[in-house]
Amino acid sequence: MASHNSEIIGRSFGDRVLFGLVILLALVMAGPVLYVIALSLKDNKELMVDPHSVFHMPYTIKNYIDTIGTSNVFSWVFNSIIVAGGLTVFTLILSSLAGYGFARLNFPGRAVLFVIVLLGLAVPEQAVLIARHQIFSWLGLHNSYPGLILPGLSSAFGVFLMTQYFRAIPKELDEAAILDNASRFRVFWKVLLPLTVPAQATLGIFTFLGAWNDYFWPLISATKKEMFTLTVGIASTQMNFAQSQGIGFLMAQAVFAGAPILIIYLFFQKYIVTAVSGAAVR
Amino acid sequence: MTLRKLFLATISAATVMMASPSFAATELQVQRFFGACDADFGKNTDVTKAVGECGIITSLINKFAADNPDIKINVTTVEWPGYDQLTAQFASGDAPDIVTIHESVLSDYQSKGLLMPLDDVLKTVGLTTDQFTGAAKEGATKDGKIYGLPIDNWTMLYHVNMDLFKQAGLVNADGTPMLPKSPEELLAQAEQFKQKTGKPYFVQNLANETALFTRNLYTYLFQQNSDFFADPKKAKFNTPEAKKVVEMYKAIFDKGYTTKNLDYGGAINAFLAGEGGVQLNGTWVVGDYNAQSEKAGTALNKGGYAVYPYPQLFSGAKAQYADGHTWAVSKKDRSPEQTAAIGKFLKFFADNDFEWSRTGHLPAYKAVMESAKFKALPHRDTIAAIATLGKPLPSAVQRQFAIQDIVGEEMSAAVTGQKPVDKALADMESRVNELLANL
Repeated sequence: MASHNSEIIGRSFGDRVLFGLVILLALVMAGPVLYVIALSLKDNKELMVDPHSVFHMPYTIKNYIDTIGTSNVFSWVFNSIIVAGGLTVFTLILSSLAGYGFARLNFPGRAVLFVIVLLGLAVPEQAVLIARHQIFSWLGLHNSYPGLILPGLSSAFGVFLMTQYFRAIPKELDEAAILDNASRFRVFWKVLLPLTVPAQATLGIFTFLGAWNDYFWPLISATKKEMFTLTVGIASTQMNFAQSQGIGFLMAQAVFAGAPILIIYLFFQKYIVTAVSGAAVR
Repeated sequence: MTLRKLFLATISAATVMMASPSFAATELQVQRFFGACDADFGKNTDVTKAVGECGIITSLINKFAADNPDIKINVTTVEWPGYDQLTAQFASGDAPDIVTIHESVLSDYQSKGLLMPLDDVLKTVGLTTDQFTGAAKEGATKDGKIYGLPIDNWTMLYHVNMDLFKQAGLVNADGTPMLPKSPEELLAQAEQFKQKTGKPYFVQNLANETALFTRNLYTYLFQQNSDFFADPKKAKFNTPEAKKVVEMYKAIFDKGYTTKNLDYGGAINAFLAGEGGVQLNGTWVVGDYNAQSEKAGTALNKGGYAVYPYPQLFSGAKAQYADGHTWAVSKKDRSPEQTAAIGKFLKFFADNDFEWSRTGHLPAYKAVMESAKFKALPHRDTIAAIATLGKPLPSAVQRQFAIQDIVGEEMSAAVTGQKPVDKALADMESRVNELLANL
């Protein structure tokens, strides 16, 4: 700690101001999270009368006990893990294969097909929602894991990202492997794919977070309570006036809901920072 | 008896039991809003011990399930109001059997033939529409048939902090709050209140809000006999009557007679903390506010809590906007057992309407409304008038929740000065009519 302090003290005034600003921004970012945690530790009735009571004793873990004892939050977390995890795995597989194809294989209509894929980036989800809902109804896919996973698999962003990444890898690597009698799949699997791990991580993180936080499609596709994902499940527990009643319980559920994402962030922090800074797209 | 015989007898008995319809529970899918409160009431079947909308409805369903072991109730709780989900469920042919729907929304589904008329089902369990209150009957009737079992009527109310009203000198000789009788009197009393207490007259949730604005506008349009939905497909909001109402609320806003940046939860907290004289909120908070007023040390305990219908500010009809909650039944092929189970469920709720009325909502049944135990509930003497004052929009008006958002957005823009009043009213009318034209 002492060496850290001396490091800061030894810095220029500008650096110290910058450091102070960073701390301030960190507090601004952490503030809402800390507020959620504090609310989750307060008695619901006390909060209704005096929201400022969150800043002082007494605190209670009753909301957590109630969440563990009576809430469906764990089954919602389970559903969200299946959906977000499944979507991430399949998106990585499909986007990597498509990206490799667009970057390395010559086939008729490649350029046109790639443009069509890119056009997918310009089509908002809301534009296809009704048609998709209807199709999934005909196929009987609502209230099922495939019904929640399939719509996200057509990831134009994923294909674009992976295509760009594969393109940036020198072709000499493929040629050297082919000279060593490696098959096309072996080149993809053993030579190129390992080099795309940063892009895979970026795509995986964005896909997982997007699926985890998705609300509207699960809302209209997973209408049976046993298929609720976390976002829909937590929303369903709100009373008409959730802002004033049962807010501590709601926040305790939110803490449970946020925990898996927090753990993922801790493990993949480096990749998330890289992804956000855009450094993954070379 | 040998072991083999015993085994065969057991298997035979089990097979007979499983094959017999009388042993198979009839399953009903019930979907509702009002939130989840399993921690407090998840297993409670003593309805008298339940409080609040969520607690009472959870306990009522628990009690019904306990009393009817031959009927299996699967409850799905949805985020209020749940209509996106319900529409999607109808679209995919997977609608719940019984679902909570506002009276104002029944038309959206009934007009598309998605709901089952309940007249016959209700008749078989001994329920007739003459048992409903006038407001409940009007709200649940579409094209001459009943499309939802009414369980209440609700409306917005004047929730009054009597301590602050006393400080402001706005109390009558009989101890009741002095409420205004005209827009001018309202502004004058609000000014007096502000001068004497240093606080705003109104505690309103004007942030992230559309419903409050809309309900206020509808109420004071009714009070001016403005038939703004004479044609259910063409609204008339760009009128002198609407302008009067919007300008009144704009004056309240501009002169600081109201809280300004509070959302719904913030407004409740502010009122309970004694930050203003009158909160405009619904029937559903009467119980909670009354409980607060009985607790020593609270702002409402100092001088008391009173609650009244909106004051009559104009010389037209004595009316205020009201809506209600119903149990509606989706139209689908069902076995006679399932239909009978639905009838039992609806009858149970009709029979227990008093318990539901403890939420603060008005009963949907005359017998409950006139009962001594209902009248004995706190503040029902002052708010019972809304049973006759309460007026819904015409039942033929569809998309009332979507209209509410448009009207509220435009009125909010006018009141807070983001748009001139005339422009806001013109936009309100054209946007609503565009919506209705596309139905």
